[in-house]
Amino acid sequence: MALTSQLRAALVHIHAGSSAAGLRSASSSSPQQQNPALIESTEEFVFVERLIAPSRIPDPPKHAGPAPSGWTPPAETPPPLPYMIRRSRMHNIPVYTDLTHGNRKMTLVRKVEGDIWALEKDVKQFLQELTGKDMPTQVNEVTMTLKIKGHFDQELKSWLSSKGF
Amino acid sequence: MSFPKKPGGKALDVLQNLPRITLANLRPEPGARKRERRRGRGQHGGNRSGRGHKGERQRGTRPRLGFEGGQTPFYLAIPKYGFNEGHSRRPQYQPLSLKRLQYLIDLGRVDPTQPIDLTQLVNARGVTIQPLKRDYGVQLVDEGSDIFAAKINIEVQRASEGAIAAVERNGGVITTSFYDPISIEILIRPVPFFMRGQPIPKRMLPGEDMVPYYTSAENRGYLADPDKIQQARLALAQKYGYVLPDISRDELYHMLAMRKDVRQVFFGLSPGWVVNMAERKILKPTDEKLLKYYTS
Repeated sequence: MALTSQLRAALVHIHAGSSAAGLRSASSSSPQQQNPALIESTEEFVFVERLIAPSRIPDPPKHAGPAPSGWTPPAETPPPLPYMIRRSRMHNIPVYTDLTHGNRKMTLVRKVEGDIWALEKDVKQFLQELTGKDMPTQVNEVTMTLKIKGHFDQELKSWLSSKGF
Repeated sequence: MSFPKKPGGKALDVLQNLPRITLANLRPEPGARKRERRRGRGQHGGNRSGRGHKGERQRGTRPRLGFEGGQTPFYLAIPKYGFNEGHSRRPQYQPLSLKRLQYLIDLGRVDPTQPIDLTQLVNARGVTIQPLKRDYGVQLVDEGSDIFAAKINIEVQRASEGAIAAVERNGGVITTSFYDPISIEILIRPVPFFMRGQPIPKRMLPGEDMVPYYTSAENRGYLADPDKIQQARLALAQKYGYVLPDISRDELYHMLAMRKDVRQVFFGLSPGWVVNMAERKILKPTDEKLLKYYTS
């Protein structure tokens, strides 16, 4: 708001200035002339820099415990388990749901490192306690992913974040 | 933490220790492949071949879809009504829930110590605006208003009452303002616009149908009276049952009070200026008529 008043101040200055009908050169004329067609300035470039999008994903600020939106940061030291689940690029837990053929529900756990069979055993035990049923799972050792039949993404996310991943 | 990458694991051990895999050793999982029923062959596929008994069903001469034997079909009996008439002329607003906004602030993608603009939201990849699909901006939706806990100065294009209450309850400031489609295009992609070398245009005022929305204090419109806005803030606090925090005592009051001028598209940059990205300079016009136009 203050800057349109700056423009108005410039208008007043032109009125009070000496020569009438400024020169109409198309683009930047030399500032040495009496009435320059343009004023160059670098002070307000700060505002332009604010508009440029960042090219890297910023690191999340430090939170003590879960953030108001429900996002929990990973533990400082990874838990002492034979497997590790890395966070995604956007600092979230890599558990995703999948729906194929309109009715085939699956849950996918990605970015697993270490002993994936131990993770499969723990996940099966957790789901056994949760549902009382034995959920079919598929381990892919090449891509190091774990697929589970059914949608369990919320439960698995909270379980993994409680473990400290 | 750092596990050595052993691709394959047990599958690789199996591959190395068992005999060579050939076509003779491979077999699909039992139950994975089921033989198809070939029509016109055998006890179950033959005889009438799944076509039924006589009539149009077996002979394949059924009428078109929707035909009801001569009775006026459903799709002709119901009269036309212009539900979707003029759909391409209706302004759309991409919803932004308070839950998502809180998530963006928590992950550091949106800075709450600076005024939050549509540019900031798009740069943080919080929303995606498509101006060519008649998007006129973003609307704040009150999903997640109970977990919202951030003090921000936010400017959106539409906001629900619950969202306004949630923002003001935490000591923030919310404004609704109008951007015409050209301004929206420039706002969401400022750098390609600056590379064009054109002067920043002045933002147009809303059309007749949107003026009541943006001049009313209940919607915190940018054209509304500031005193009425203060009254509306108090009224909303009474309605939703919270104490309105006094923002004039806040240390970020200067930032919270920052608002764009009616004709301004970017914070800090006036219409009429040309931005030179290569030399990091701003060129301002000095011609009287141009200044008069851009300040009108």
